[in-house]
Amino acid sequence: MLIDCDIHVGYETLADLLPYLDGPSRELVVSSGTHGLAMPTYPWNHPSGWIRQDVYERGSGAGDFPYLTLDLLRDRHLDRYDIALGVLEPDEGAAFAILPNAQLAARLCSAYNDWLLERWLEEEPRLRGMLVVPAQWPEAAAREIKRLGGREEFVGVFLPGAARIPYGNPVYDPLWQAVDELALPVAVHTHFETIGIAPPLTAAGMPDYYAEYHTLCGSGMYGHLVSILCHGIFERFPHTRLAMVEGGLVPFVGFLWRLDTNWKACRSEMPWCRRRPSEYVWDHVRFATQPLESPDDPEQLVAAIEFLRPWQTLLYASDFPHWDFDEPEQTLRQLPAEWRDGVRWRNAQEFFRLPVPAS
Amino acid sequence: MRATQREARLPLSQAPDEGVVRHVEVGGRRVGLYRVDGELHALADRCPHRGAPLCSGRIATPVEVRAGSLELGTRASIVRCPWHKWEFEIASGRCLVDPKLRARTYAVRVDGDEIVVSLDH
Repeated sequence: MLIDCDIHVGYETLADLLPYLDGPSRELVVSSGTHGLAMPTYPWNHPSGWIRQDVYERGSGAGDFPYLTLDLLRDRHLDRYDIALGVLEPDEGAAFAILPNAQLAARLCSAYNDWLLERWLEEEPRLRGMLVVPAQWPEAAAREIKRLGGREEFVGVFLPGAARIPYGNPVYDPLWQAVDELALPVAVHTHFETIGIAPPLTAAGMPDYYAEYHTLCGSGMYGHLVSILCHGIFERFPHTRLAMVEGGLVPFVGFLWRLDTNWKACRSEMPWCRRRPSEYVWDHVRFATQPLESPDDPEQLVAAIEFLRPWQTLLYASDFPHWDFDEPEQTLRQLPAEWRDGVRWRNAQEFFRLPVPAS
Repeated sequence: MRATQREARLPLSQAPDEGVVRHVEVGGRRVGLYRVDGELHALADRCPHRGAPLCSGRIATPVEVRAGSLELGTRASIVRCPWHKWEFEIASGRCLVDPKLRARTYAVRVDGDEIVVSLDH
């Protein structure tokens, strides 16, 4: 029994969303730029390709993110690894939340969610979707969450690591209010840091290489988690659950230790944070396994992440079909046997409130 | 192609060109047949890192630093694993990013007008 909480799908070109868009937005998508509306994207290219080379067929669009069909997803992943349930995260659709034009972003998000529902979720019962929302316009994000968040095909809300300001800031309260009302989890997933309206990846300035970017891309997620904890989101919106996806595991340990220490001295500036920050994590936050840090000695990893209570907080994630895909059994083998059941399916099933998969 | 438990034979006319892989099966094992610098080489279709189908990876020319400048190495002499993009030297199976790893290689010889890929060295 296996639940994969990070599978990426995407449209072949933005034009695939045209049937799901209103007239004025269709006009913008078709007529903008030279070949239609283009999303902002990374200035770094992966030197040998973003996507696992054995799992896609290049379509007519031939963009940066080659097109994965539902048949290929079934054949190369769902069937091959006997995945009971898979949670779909966006590829380029993650960029809507970092567009300067928030009104357009909101319309693209709605079109994407309708497309995802019709083309993937209603076609394959093993798949569940994460809603993409215009995070740069929290009121509109809340409307989108309320529009579709009650449907069982959607199991949460996707927020990219890239954002104008950290997600704990009170401007996001309408978004948190909406997920709290529906008891929907939120996944903050590394995506498009430095791009669009997002600030630089780190205060060090712009890295030169993709390898630097990919090493540091969790920086946004660390900022968001600290912000969410310090703003008392879990106190004020107590049904909120949060997954940190693709930010690694080990860095969170250091941040939480440091934040706990700082909270002891600085509690008076954030009195709504009533408990030690890490204590909220055990009740509300989960961490996706991929990309699992891989020291030469696996015991070093186990010791390094033990503080995160991995038996209850880790969710298996493959990141299929991306180049740093983690194969399920090899991932689980790197963890102690007594953690594996939770990581394999139980933690995800509880977190996303999924049906118990048949064995 | 004819195959026994320990070797596979295929016509010399089916030898791969440089930069192209030909997949063959020897004794139930998937093997990639390559040509590098005129010589034929056979590599197990299994990445020693995470077990990916190594021979469906892209064939590439390594980039090297020589005396401080970037140079191209032997043309089409490495294969990049399709999953994690680690590079392996086709002729030796040597992994360029982890000296502890080596992809399995097999013996290849030309016997008359046939290529023989053998599990026995």
